[in-house]
Amino acid sequence: VVKIEESSLLPPRSIDEARKLWKKSEMKIVELASGLSEQLRLILEPTQATKLRGDYKTGKRLNMKRIIPYIASQFRKDKIWLRRTKPSKRQYQIMIAVDDSKSMSESKSVDLAFQSICLVSKALTQLESGDLSIVKFGETIREVHHFDQQFSTESGAKIFQWFDFQETKTDVKKLVAESIKIFDFARATSNNDLWQLEIIISDGVCEDHETIQRLVRRARENKIMLVFVIVDGINSNESIMDMSQVKYVSDQTGNMQLKVEKYLDTFPFEFYVVVHDISELPEMLSLILRQYFSELASV
Amino acid sequence: MSDEAQVKLRFFTREEDESLKVDDTTLYAPVSLKRYGLSEIVNHLLGLEKTVPFDFLIDGELLRTSLDDYLVKKGLSSETCLNVEYTRAVLPPSYLSSF
Ligand SMILES: [Mg+2]
Repeated sequence: VVKIEESSLLPPRSIDEARKLWKKSEMKIVELASGLSEQLRLILEPTQATKLRGDYKTGKRLNMKRIIPYIASQFRKDKIWLRRTKPSKRQYQIMIAVDDSKSMSESKSVDLAFQSICLVSKALTQLESGDLSIVKFGETIREVHHFDQQFSTESGAKIFQWFDFQETKTDVKKLVAESIKIFDFARATSNNDLWQLEIIISDGVCEDHETIQRLVRRARENKIMLVFVIVDGINSNESIMDMSQVKYVSDQTGNMQLKVEKYLDTFPFEFYVVVHDISELPEMLSLILRQYFSELASV
Repeated sequence: MSDEAQVKLRFFTREEDESLKVDDTTLYAPVSLKRYGLSEIVNHLLGLEKTVPFDFLIDGELLRTSLDDYLVKKGLSSETCLNVEYTRAVLPPSYLSSF
């Protein structure tokens, strides 16, 4: 992954234009952001009940293991009580990965993508419980905002400078592989109770579902949560939900057999939502995160 | 196979025979496809009992190469969506099998 500072490349969009774009997106999402932030707070907050613990002189309940030593010590070892203690605050590292490929502009998903970046980053900033990274992907992967940077309106505009939706490939394999590296690196500098979440915003059109699926599994083993938000363009006659995938599968005799199946049937991300309008995003994102956490809890 | 580049495409036809018209859906297919492979797909979509050979045109131009070669020649990327017209093949089959 190339960091901006290390590269000599200039962003394709001027800062003035990017500021205007950010303002325009912000106006669209300002009300949605606080709603999403509230929902995320409920979902991401530590869910485990407070536990009884410790050796105290007063408390809620007796610690039975301390009773015999207590008597044996002639009642001097009197720290025999348990108390309810608050769970430690959980820390989050959340990465928003945004598709900068040409298909995004061809399917008229650009506005929706900009609004999604703005909405999610604003909601997470209001949440104040974690670090935020923003990555753009296409043929190449580039981290345009790092976990250790503060997020502000100006950083929003700076991020927008990097998006022109002209990349001629959509390499989701590379995205997932590089994300794992970025997260690994960020975890090394943080404490234990750290949760890592990646929200991918894309039109969802990508090749080689099988390899991606393996990488998604590896991310999951590394305790990285992956959630895919498919922005389904305003092109009403072309929805990803109707799209078909042409495949060739070898039969018993080794002949290649043509197969046409629904594209989303082999979509490699288990946790994904399809969004047609920015107003749907808060609800959809909360829904899929809740599903994710309930599944984690049931394992 | 799984490592291959793919492109979105939509088939349409000006044939008047209703049984030769496919549903208007977007397909995600390998860019290596040529006339024969495309014809196989249209036949599969039509579900005809007897195979009908088709020719393919993009922007009114007869496709004589793979989709990939077409994209490269036109300076397009696989991020685009190709509108592919098909017509009943008019060339003799012996000639068709050569590309
Ligand atoms: Mg794309």
